[in-house]
Amino acid sequence: MRQSAISVESLEKFFPPARAGWAALAQPFARPTVCALSGISFEIGHGEAIALIGANGAGKSTLLRILTTLLLPTSGRARIAGFDLVREPAAVRRQLGFHTGSDASFYARMSARENLLFFGALNNLSPAECRRRVNELAELLRLEAWLDRQVRTLSTGLVHRLGLARALLHKPAVLLLDEPTRSLDPVAAAEFRRFLKADILLRGGTTLLFSSHSISEVEQLAGRLLLLDAGRLIAFDAPARVRESTGAASLEEAMEILVRRATEAAA
Amino acid sequence: MKLSATLRKIAALFARDFTIARSYRAAFVLEAFEALFGVASFYYLSRFVESPELSRALPQQGTYFAFALVGFAFFDYLNVALNAFDQNLQEARENGTLESLLVTQTSLPVILTGSALYPFAVLALRTVVYLGWGIAWFGFPVRQANWIGAALVLAVSVLAFAGLGVLSASYTLLFKRGNPAKWIFIGGSMLVSGVMYPLSVLPRGLQLLARLLPVTYSLEGMRAALLGHATTIQLLPQLAALAIFAVVLLPLSFVVFAWALRRTKITGTLTHF
Repeated sequence: MRQSAISVESLEKFFPPARAGWAALAQPFARPTVCALSGISFEIGHGEAIALIGANGAGKSTLLRILTTLLLPTSGRARIAGFDLVREPAAVRRQLGFHTGSDASFYARMSARENLLFFGALNNLSPAECRRRVNELAELLRLEAWLDRQVRTLSTGLVHRLGLARALLHKPAVLLLDEPTRSLDPVAAAEFRRFLKADILLRGGTTLLFSSHSISEVEQLAGRLLLLDAGRLIAFDAPARVRESTGAASLEEAMEILVRRATEAAA
Repeated sequence: MKLSATLRKIAALFARDFTIARSYRAAFVLEAFEALFGVASFYYLSRFVESPELSRALPQQGTYFAFALVGFAFFDYLNVALNAFDQNLQEARENGTLESLLVTQTSLPVILTGSALYPFAVLALRTVVYLGWGIAWFGFPVRQANWIGAALVLAVSVLAFAGLGVLSASYTLLFKRGNPAKWIFIGGSMLVSGVMYPLSVLPRGLQLLARLLPVTYSLEGMRAALLGHATTIQLLPQLAALAIFAVVLLPLSFVVFAWALRRTKITGTLTHF
């Protein structure tokens, strides 16, 4: 049987309560008691595009950071391409490409090319292979004209495309994007989505999990969506089926209904 | 294969820091002149305080200028070691590159090691400039210096100091900034390890305290090699003491660092600053 691209079983994450002043010195040793994720289970197949949605604080970034090995889960298990996140983090990172969605995750005084070659080297690409991949991706993401400019001179849209290029350098099986169009203007966001759809999803067969607050982005890119509310998974289905199951006219309205139901059930 | 891949990554980290530093071109030139002013200050201070009694009180019985120049030039290695690792971590947190670095196929210890290389290389260059100005203009005596012995003392010192640097980075990882232990350690070492005056002028208690600090052995070894014409065999006590510090501190520091990293992944504070 073929492994899932992403498999998550009963995942939970608790953080210690935030402390200030002198009490902050005890923060690294405090017991984690604040629930950020609770009982999350789902499976994502190879080549699927899944949107991770929910209100601010719902747990989207926490889930993505656990999947990227930047956070350790409190309990439960998660696997990327069959590799356990806690026991085999290095193998997991070989399978992953991650774009934080931040427009400040590059060395501003290095050129785009120098940044890509640097991150390629840290991802075990040989210099020749890395140069070839940088040229390929620059062509794919239409970055050629900007490759030798310092990153600090690039527009936000270009930096996001550069972030996507970096995430794709080592040909990862799974691509994780945290609100990739967060700081883009509508035109740049639409262009970014077109890249993702036409060049990454349709051409490459890469599994995509992305968080987003944009309903149109979700409808345009995702085959299914994961809806989180207060750390719980309250829907995991195709956008159209989520709409139909709630009898809502729009996906936005369906989300409101599902969140209301979950809140009432929890109360 | 694995070693060559690790070396390639360390080279990439060095190249990154060099590329960024090169983009601030004037800084290179200004640092060379800053070193000249520092050397000149020691020289004139030395002329002011020089006396036959002072010269006799110094371990190698040379000039106070040579004694102080070696002390300051090599004390900087402790400074850089204690700052390079945690500053790098702090900068990566602040400029937003830490998450991008940590999701690569490179472990954090390799990232830290590679990132500390450039500051040490710049410091080595600065030491050469310091000594170069001293030799060229102010009569720093190097005719019978044991350069191989000095290089050995320096290499083992850097390993011992790096252990302290990684311990300091572990503190920064957990508590973000304001590492009081680091400043107490630097201040204490400056006071008792014989940077500006020989250990013999200190009270007995402070002399014993100095023996617990690696920089004391480092400065003793350096002065013996450069000013006292000591052979490499004669440097063995200092080399052995520094090697013991390195053997204890380096593995300990990496264990503490791995534990601190795990804690921040549990508390979710890895990228906080």
